[in-house]
Amino acid sequence: MLVATIIVYPIVYTGWMSLHEWFASSLTGPRFIGLANYAKIVVGDARFREAVVRTIYFTIVAVAAETVLGVAMALLFNREFWGRGLLRTLAILPMVATPTAIALVFVMMYHPTLGVANYLVTVAGLSPFRWTYSSQTALYALALVDVWQWTPLIMLIALAGLASLPREPYEAAHLDGATPLQSFWHITLPLLRPTLVVAILFRSIDALKTFDIIFVMTQGGPANASETINILLFNQAFSYFNMGYAASMAVALFALVMGASLILIKVRRSAAW
Amino acid sequence: MAARRLTRRTFLQGLATGVAAGPFVSTPARAQDFNWKRFQGKELFLLLTKHPFIDVLEKHISEFESLSGMKVKWETLPEIQARQKMTVEMTASSGGIDAFFTSLHVEKKRFWKAGWYHPLNKFLDDRTLTSPDFDWNDFTPGARAGVTQPDGSISALAAFVDANVFFYRKDLFGAKSATPPKTLADLEPLAQKLHAPPGVYGIVLRGLKNANATQYPSILFPMGGTYLKDGKGVLDSKEQIAALDLYAKLLRQYAPPGVVNFNWYECSASFMQGQVAIYMDGVNFASQFEDAAKSKVVGKVGYAVLPSGPGGHFSPIYITGMAVSSQSRSKEAAYLFTQWATNKTNMVRELMAGVGVGRTSTWDNPDVKAKPKMPADWYQAYQASLKIGRQGLPEIVGVTEYRDIIGVAIQKAIEGAPAAQVLAQAQKDFQDLLNRTES
Repeated sequence: MLVATIIVYPIVYTGWMSLHEWFASSLTGPRFIGLANYAKIVVGDARFREAVVRTIYFTIVAVAAETVLGVAMALLFNREFWGRGLLRTLAILPMVATPTAIALVFVMMYHPTLGVANYLVTVAGLSPFRWTYSSQTALYALALVDVWQWTPLIMLIALAGLASLPREPYEAAHLDGATPLQSFWHITLPLLRPTLVVAILFRSIDALKTFDIIFVMTQGGPANASETINILLFNQAFSYFNMGYAASMAVALFALVMGASLILIKVRRSAAW
Repeated sequence: MAARRLTRRTFLQGLATGVAAGPFVSTPARAQDFNWKRFQGKELFLLLTKHPFIDVLEKHISEFESLSGMKVKWETLPEIQARQKMTVEMTASSGGIDAFFTSLHVEKKRFWKAGWYHPLNKFLDDRTLTSPDFDWNDFTPGARAGVTQPDGSISALAAFVDANVFFYRKDLFGAKSATPPKTLADLEPLAQKLHAPPGVYGIVLRGLKNANATQYPSILFPMGGTYLKDGKGVLDSKEQIAALDLYAKLLRQYAPPGVVNFNWYECSASFMQGQVAIYMDGVNFASQFEDAAKSKVVGKVGYAVLPSGPGGHFSPIYITGMAVSSQSRSKEAAYLFTQWATNKTNMVRELMAGVGVGRTSTWDNPDVKAKPKMPADWYQAYQASLKIGRQGLPEIVGVTEYRDIIGVAIQKAIEGAPAAQVLAQAQKDFQDLLNRTES
């Protein structure tokens, strides 16, 4: 009962607030305005629509890169080789660090003239990037931080999945003369799919809600080039004190995360055997 | 919870004692005199902000405790968190805060409209409450205007007064026999002349949205631009367009790459690394330029007042002050603290530590003259800027939202969008904001 109250009350209250117009610093209390906030975010507010597209785009870019790299790393660490334990431990270290601390480090690394990132890029023979200091590249630079930090999670889950795969199909394939690539594509990947869907689900839910690294590194800028729903709603609530409107955005974000989860769970069901 | 209950009980006891002692203490003769110990035994709670001014002040709060016989407790939070705490406490009418440090350039009108500032006019006029040596008129006109609301009520006592000034590299200027610009028209040719990338960039100003809104008026005001005209937004005026054109062009052509997302931190870092010839920003950043542990340009930095323009000569100023909460249960006692924190002695201490203050008398103080922490031209530039000071941001409720609106426009202009186009959008959003919040 207590748990239910603690979990349910904030959600219900947020939903209730989203039907009001209320500026936290004004003398007048909340005013009931029905669905007007929702009408505004759906129809009127271009900044919110852009934020939705950006949030989804950021999630797809980051999670796709993490999945490919994570599976590749899992395949690598699934083999026996000397120093595997040590390397595997090192590989999961980014996941353990605090996002805010990482973000501050990346801010310095991304500095266009003083940072190490552009030094490395120039050493590799490329021309320097603007990283988070340009609206064309900011979102990708942020996705890169997310990839750096969360690829290990996908790797860990995929590794657990790989460890539980049966050996027989591989032996059969080997006898039939399948190449390693063919057995990866036709055996490993299909067998790994349920596990991977879980990993992607976890990461997508998290990526849709990404806040700390964006807030610390760009605060949604340059211009609004990296402003996701979470950043926008934080601004509405705690910079503009526009509580009711922010609550309606929170509900919309909740719906988005919920929707993405339901789709992925459905994909997983259909993949079960 | 227990702590709060205890505080309340202590408070009630204090109140009871006060009531009992009242008739004996306030004899007519004594009521004429100002007495620091008048509220002896009371306890105050302050909400302070992490700020150079507070860093200096905190060291001396115990002095106030022995002077007044009151007990002072305080909490120092980063600015944003302090504002959130303030909002929560005041919305909940908790009455827990007696006095607070307020960034007037952001909070002035919002907190005033919300009724959170206790007006200080009566206290200032009351000889039994205001020390004879406090001297309200010692504050500069800009500082006095900055704490006064449209209805004449005084919301706070000015503490730290920041002014935008012109920082330049004396060595680089000398090599090209250049001098600080007198007018805006000289600014761009000067930036061009000194621009020699990748070693040295001509100029740096803040590009990051919201942060850039405090630097933009350094160009906007001398261009003749304003924010409001007869209560309507005028972000799309031709002066605004000319100002944004110049601001964006300077940064696009003569600033370090990535400047579009530079906050003061990145700007001052590149200036202190010796990468930039000209930098315009708040006067208080200068103390780190002269700190050999942080800066490669110690002793090479010159300080001057901002250039003037067709619209006049201005320096955007930003004021933080000490205010009394309207929900405090001991407003008069809280006022004593506010008054002490901004008195002459404390302001001299602040100035000696390199923190700018808006009291005229501090400038002629022998201690400040004998042991200057900063070069002489820093003091001159700061003093001259205060004389031409004008509130840097529009005095409206939605200051933060305005800063985001103009901030995005500035960033888009730096990245190449036409000034007229981005300002048209900004004006639309700004007017919408004014309609929602100012009526």
